[in-house]
Amino acid sequence: MSKYDWLLFFHVTGAFLLIGGTVVAASLSLAALRRERPSEVAVLLGLVRFGVRAIYAGVFLTLVFGLWLVHDAGYSYGSFWVIAALVLWVYANAAGGIGGRREEETRKLAERLAAEGDAPSAELRARQRDPFTLGVEYSGGVAILLILVLMIWKPGA
Amino acid sequence: MIASLCHAYCGGRLFLHVLGATLLFGGVLTVVILSIAGLRLTQHTELLRRLAFGLTLLVVWPAWIVMRVGAQLVLTSEGLDKHSPSWVGVGFAVSDAGIVVLLLLTLFGWLAARRGCALNAFAGLGSLYLVALGVAWFFMSAKPT
Repeated sequence: MSKYDWLLFFHVTGAFLLIGGTVVAASLSLAALRRERPSEVAVLLGLVRFGVRAIYAGVFLTLVFGLWLVHDAGYSYGSFWVIAALVLWVYANAAGGIGGRREEETRKLAERLAAEGDAPSAELRARQRDPFTLGVEYSGGVAILLILVLMIWKPGA
Repeated sequence: MIASLCHAYCGGRLFLHVLGATLLFGGVLTVVILSIAGLRLTQHTELLRRLAFGLTLLVVWPAWIVMRVGAQLVLTSEGLDKHSPSWVGVGFAVSDAGIVVLLLLTLFGWLAARRGCALNAFAGLGSLYLVALGVAWFFMSAKPT
């Protein structure tokens, strides 16, 4: 196997971890949206951390080995698909960070409410359905999907 | 320039295959996390068991179908169905044997959700399938000869 093959393997591994971790986080967050009891919301949002770890590993591997691949394969760092992918990568990270912090606050609220009687709460429901948080998280997911499109078609290469 | 081994006209097919494969990995990872959590968090085990089974039907199976259809379309368009390299064989072995694994996973998931048993088997089989998917993506991406 050549150096290029190894670089591609680690880059693709990063993509699997990034998208796989996003699926974990999205599935559990959406499942939490459908629950009323704070203890159940807290458990599901607590499990999101495993998806977040996969996302962190994926974010690191895709960037490092992606840039290395661009150099190794002789692509230009100024190509449209490379610049667009980097811009979307930064946006997806920022969106994930903002959404993740808000989800963490929601989880802490759910844990507190669970300890105080575990009754359904309007405050928790409102926080879970906060349009800004949902918008930021969904747009981050779309950005990751667009990066995959750029990686497959490589427009401007 | 399209991803390696794929001509200009098969970008959509390759996208379908890669999207399905990554969603499949994420879906299986999610149900494994839920089933292991279901074994440990006894207070919420019913919720976690039902959710693991539900996501097997709603995410894992559709993702497998998208991945497999995409793989077949790329294979046909690139003529790899006539002269398959070894890495293609490994990919197909994992994906086609995956039907049996997914059927068993669905059965164990149903038993866990409805009768509260087989959650250990569900978590164990799901974890093994994750490893198999890792082997497949190694052969699909690095393409060792």
